[in-house]
Amino acid sequence: MKKSIRKLLPLILSGVLLGGTAASLIASAGEPYDVYNYDRWGEAIPSQAGYIADRTVSGYDLGIGPMDSPSDIFCDHNRIFYIADTKNNRVIALDSELDRVVEIYDEFRLPDGSVTTLDQPEGIFVSAENDCIYIADSNNERVLVCNYDSEVVMEIVRPDSELFSAPTFRPKRVVADKAGNVYVVLDNITTGAAMFGPEGEFTGFYGANRVQPTSEIISNYIRNIFSSEEKKASRPRNVPTGITSFDIYGDFIFTCTASSTQTTDTVKKLNAAGKNIFANLELAFGDYTPIYDASQNKLFSPAICDIDIADDGNINCLDLTTGRVFQYDEDCNLLFITGTIAKQVGGFNQVSALESLDNCLYVLDSQKNTVTVFVETSFGEVVHEAAELYNAGYYEEALEPWYEVLRRDGNYRRAYIGVASALLRKGDYKGSMKYAKLADAPLIYDKAFEGWRREFLKEHFTEIAAITAVLAAVLIYIGKRKKKKPAGISAADMENTEKKEE
Amino acid sequence: MMDLSQGQWVKHAVTHPFEGFEDMRWKKSGSMKIAALIILLLFFAQIANGRLYGFQFRVSYDKTFSIVPYLVKSVVLFAVWVIGNWSVCTLLDGEGTIKNICIYSAYALVPYIAQLYINVLLSHVLIMDEYVFMQVIQFIGVGWTAILLFSAIKSVHQYSFGKTVFAVLLTVVAMLIMLFLLVLFMSLIQQVYIFISTIYTEIFYRIRV
Repeated sequence: MKKSIRKLLPLILSGVLLGGTAASLIASAGEPYDVYNYDRWGEAIPSQAGYIADRTVSGYDLGIGPMDSPSDIFCDHNRIFYIADTKNNRVIALDSELDRVVEIYDEFRLPDGSVTTLDQPEGIFVSAENDCIYIADSNNERVLVCNYDSEVVMEIVRPDSELFSAPTFRPKRVVADKAGNVYVVLDNITTGAAMFGPEGEFTGFYGANRVQPTSEIISNYIRNIFSSEEKKASRPRNVPTGITSFDIYGDFIFTCTASSTQTTDTVKKLNAAGKNIFANLELAFGDYTPIYDASQNKLFSPAICDIDIADDGNINCLDLTTGRVFQYDEDCNLLFITGTIAKQVGGFNQVSALESLDNCLYVLDSQKNTVTVFVETSFGEVVHEAAELYNAGYYEEALEPWYEVLRRDGNYRRAYIGVASALLRKGDYKGSMKYAKLADAPLIYDKAFEGWRREFLKEHFTEIAAITAVLAAVLIYIGKRKKKKPAGISAADMENTEKKEE
Repeated sequence: MMDLSQGQWVKHAVTHPFEGFEDMRWKKSGSMKIAALIILLLFFAQIANGRLYGFQFRVSYDKTFSIVPYLVKSVVLFAVWVIGNWSVCTLLDGEGTIKNICIYSAYALVPYIAQLYINVLLSHVLIMDEYVFMQVIQFIGVGWTAILLFSAIKSVHQYSFGKTVFAVLLTVVAMLIMLFLLVLFMSLIQQVYIFISTIYTEIFYRIRV
């Protein structure tokens, strides 16, 4: 056992640990990987775990036979988990403890009384508004909308519209908003998610990715200016990578794109109009440094294959390449990195979907055919509390939790920012400067320094005035003596001009 | 007239942009020691500029420290300027010797160096809203040095205005060529080093077996 960990560690961590940091690593108990976070310079540093793997749940544990390539997991408002058990052509409903099967959906009654079955369902969603289950029934080329009693309410099939030019209609993921609009991620569609009205009518596409301006695309663009129409037509068109998955949170839809080549728009926050709110922020999701695999001579960059927004607004991104969950707060600050590619509990073969409930994360593995449950550690709890207070603007209330975070992990940069902001709000400028410096946060330091300077000047005004007066007197005296034997501009005069500019 | 010590000559040259260097040339003054000291001060100023700046203006990466970029920004750049200018102006009937070019150019750098030190000090007193004051000082320092450098080249070679412009432009081109060759040479040396070390390793293994 120990040997296998030792063999695995260098593989897993080759891209994680940069020189010099390895020595101070303290692995938390039970993890098949070393926990890390990123500092201000984008370098990996050891950190405390925010989540630890608690257990895995397989089909055997539930007594319903093994799952086969499950591809989506969803938790509805009644705390019931739904798993799209793709190759078994069924949807499994479990209770919130994941130990009891509530229902298995595999046969549905159509309104005309006939029975229909699923063929490789890949996406599942339950709407809290109309208590309907939305199933992306991939091979049947339809989205099935049914109630809890397996009665089909509506079927969404390939729209007969001029706008929809693709020959196939293979839904991968589906969500519905409060108004009953249905959004469907389709395979091989790069123009965004297909959008349907509450009655199932096709209304257009939503939230397409942008094309990443790589050097190849720019050179093609320049060449196209000079080339003929025929040549232009024979060139491959520049299309962005299609959306891989999405999640709905309040009025916003978060999309993610698993692409090994594209780095723009991998994670988007779309408003109702389809505008990406993250578009102009310089954000990077997943690992900063791509991992090099010597056995395949390939660089593996992050591919975010599923996204989930927790109830407190935290953004969980699932990286297919490394099997890691990257948790960000609502402002896209990295909180925790959890998981890896490994055989043990807490490691994965091929992750496919992610869901969160309360303080747990549920990660679906489509090759292990299991759901892994991660529970929040006490460290994670403190960080979440502090980050939530901080993001809501309660800086001073967040001070104690941030101090607690620092007691547990002195490398946690967000905590230094939190403490610096809180102390600045309190008026403890000296302390704020100290913590802002530790956090490498020049903007907070600037504000704290301004306050500190103001107080310093107020306190020591008499001394400063006296010293200035004496200095001025001395300078004038020197200047007068120099004037008796002139030799250009004296050094004293030069200093005088500088003082004025100050 | 003009019986100044070497130190006073620096002051005179710096404060008289138009005839300071002419006077210096007429008096055959200027000291190599002071020029070397100025370049040393430039070197320290660059380090201070990179490392000791007020935290609110610049966060420096302090996990490692490499002296090479600071050497390049001060000593190497100055040396390339002097050599480039000398080689260009020798061909353009310039009267300056390499020693004089070195001394005059170094003297011309004084406002720039002073500006660096002043701004490093100010950056610990001012906040970001008051950055404009530092920009003004920087602008004055750089502009003053530019004028002085131009005037230095003009008087050391006894050029007309137009010819000085031409010579300065050619010098910049020469500097670029030299830096290019330097980089080329470095990578070549590296290649040779790798070649030799590979042969060494190979032979070493054979001998052991």
